[in-house]
Amino acid sequence: MRKNLIILLLIVIALTLPLYTGVYILHIFSSILIFLALSLSWDMMLRTGQLSFGTAGFFGLGAYASVLIVVNMGFNPILSLLIGAIFSGFIAFILGFIVLRLREIYFAITTLALTHVFSVIIRNFSDFTGGASGKILASAIFEGDPVKIYYLVLIVAGLAIIISEVFKRSRIHYAINAIRNDETTAKSSGIDVFKYLLFVFVSTSALQGLVGAVYAHQYAFVNPESTFSLNFLLLPIAMALVGGIYSTNGPIIGALLLGLISEYLKLIMPYGHLIVYGLIIVFVVLFLPRGIYSTIHNKLLKSNIIGGDKNANTASK
Amino acid sequence: MKRNSILILSLVVILAFAFSLSSYAQDDPIKIGAVNPLGDITGDQSTKAMELAVKEINDKGGLLGRPVELIVVDSEFKPEKGAAAIDKLATVDEVDFFVGGMSSGVHMAQIPSLKKYKKITIWAGAASYLAEEAIGPDADWYFHLHPWDYQQGESYGIGWSDIAEAREEVEIGKVFLAYEEGGFGTASFESYEVLADQAEEGEGPYADILSDFEGGSFKSAALGGGEYRALLRRAKEFNPDLFIWAGYGADAIPLLAQSREVGFEPPLYVGAPPGWPADFEANPLSDKVVLYGMWAPALKEVSEVAEHFWDEYIKMHQERPATYFAPLGYTNIMYLAKAIEDAGTLEKEVLIESLENTEYDSPMGTTLKIAPSNVIKHQGFTRQKILQYQDGKQNVIWPFEVATAEIEYPFSW
Repeated sequence: MRKNLIILLLIVIALTLPLYTGVYILHIFSSILIFLALSLSWDMMLRTGQLSFGTAGFFGLGAYASVLIVVNMGFNPILSLLIGAIFSGFIAFILGFIVLRLREIYFAITTLALTHVFSVIIRNFSDFTGGASGKILASAIFEGDPVKIYYLVLIVAGLAIIISEVFKRSRIHYAINAIRNDETTAKSSGIDVFKYLLFVFVSTSALQGLVGAVYAHQYAFVNPESTFSLNFLLLPIAMALVGGIYSTNGPIIGALLLGLISEYLKLIMPYGHLIVYGLIIVFVVLFLPRGIYSTIHNKLLKSNIIGGDKNANTASK
Repeated sequence: MKRNSILILSLVVILAFAFSLSSYAQDDPIKIGAVNPLGDITGDQSTKAMELAVKEINDKGGLLGRPVELIVVDSEFKPEKGAAAIDKLATVDEVDFFVGGMSSGVHMAQIPSLKKYKKITIWAGAASYLAEEAIGPDADWYFHLHPWDYQQGESYGIGWSDIAEAREEVEIGKVFLAYEEGGFGTASFESYEVLADQAEEGEGPYADILSDFEGGSFKSAALGGGEYRALLRRAKEFNPDLFIWAGYGADAIPLLAQSREVGFEPPLYVGAPPGWPADFEANPLSDKVVLYGMWAPALKEVSEVAEHFWDEYIKMHQERPATYFAPLGYTNIMYLAKAIEDAGTLEKEVLIESLENTEYDSPMGTTLKIAPSNVIKHQGFTRQKILQYQDGKQNVIWPFEVATAEIEYPFSW
């Protein structure tokens, strides 16, 4: 009951944010939500036991697909966002047949290499993609209206949260948990490992593509250097690690915390804020290796069990 | 009687309130909002130079009788951070002007926000022609100081033509461009290809000097590369009169060392990275290497403004300006200040006109004047400079009017 009330309160705050904040705060929250969705998508893949470094690559693919069909073919921007997602998912589906044969570090390195390969391909098809310079849109989506953009990003982040929760509450959760814990046992239990891996890989890549498309339309441009930046891989990973992996709440907490701390530190110490920010991440990863959410959650669970035992003991006396 | 007293009292209160408001407006600072990447030497030194300019302005009594306040926000070289910085400066700090800038990627993300506020913007960095297209021809509030990428390519052509004309032994017939495979190097290659095509048709700045052009890419040492031998052998076979490499500072020393190793000795060895390694001039490999840039410390020998900037910057920050973004940042503020003084008001239309007409003798060694470029109405600098490392010092060899030395030719080990 209390948990539902907190969720309801957070939803109300998120929905009403434009009513009591200015453009700047709204912009900061839009950025946080972008990284929150990326962080969740990365974590969803991690739940299968596969460490993917392809987040920035599929983010960039979605961004490019969405911008190019608007600039070169005159598509509707909103529709182009969906096409960005579908394109990333489609490419992930094709590549999945190759890369999902790999495991552990080999999978991780291959997905990282994919980002570079996508970027090189984009650079070399310069007539269509704008090459190294990139492409610009005539205007940002919704003519740059910050409130509308905020709600668009909120919908995307909400979608990421819903997908993550579906993954947690459905049969998929048991299947991917089993795959992560022991693939051979999972196979012998009748789980189609490849099918589940491919499903998660395609879904998370499509989500990353959608986020990339929204980001590109928010700022009205794509170029290989910015759009395939490793920032779209490293920051989401840091957020998930700080918040806590293998959960929906962890990446949300990590994204909110790191997003707000980063901006606050920048305002109070223009020089050197990145050092403090980096130290905070190192500190959390070193001393709270399970992340903030998992640590607190486990402690609460432990104290409840102990409290429950005490009550049980008292009752028996 | 009582009624009159109330009237007089009300009048006094209103007048006192109005007076207090006007005096508040007088003391209220003119706010300049700067967005720079503070974690990088370019943004760091540009900001420090802006602080120097603001200090000098305030020491002389400010502008229009009001102090000047510089509010700086770090862009962190990230597009979304740079764009949010514009929103913060406009809505939270309520600045009067936007200045600063470095990367084109960050600037393109800022353009939708800049267009929303339409405040007078004097942008120091960002060279991509796409940023110019994104701003568009109607933004009369937008002033851009750094030469656009196509202007840079043109200016080198003009420079080499001038040098070849002044020094008969200098030839620029065959040009080879070694470029890093990333966005920076590829953009350079593409712009050279356009110039070479123009030259073939007898047009453009290289029309009279360029006969053959070839290029090849390499993986920059800054991005995990650092092996250039195969490309250098190809360049050696091509036997260029002018060899240019467009990569990063990390490529400078290994590229030169490997060139010597494979016996590649072109008559003109030119480097065009955005920044050189620290103390590169102290490395013997640097001697006679030509470089492109907007500024060199040696300019203080030929320009009083450059000398003043150099001395005051060191006095204030106890470090030497090491990048052209330092004098460019100083120019950014001083140019705006001069235009405000000339206009005598902050009224937008009047100030835009004043900015259009203001000429500022800058520490870059040249006078800043505004003229239209391909798309925008208000472009500042249009030319780069050709410099050369000579006996551990960076000298300006072109434009001749600010040259601090003649070119040492040919390049040799």
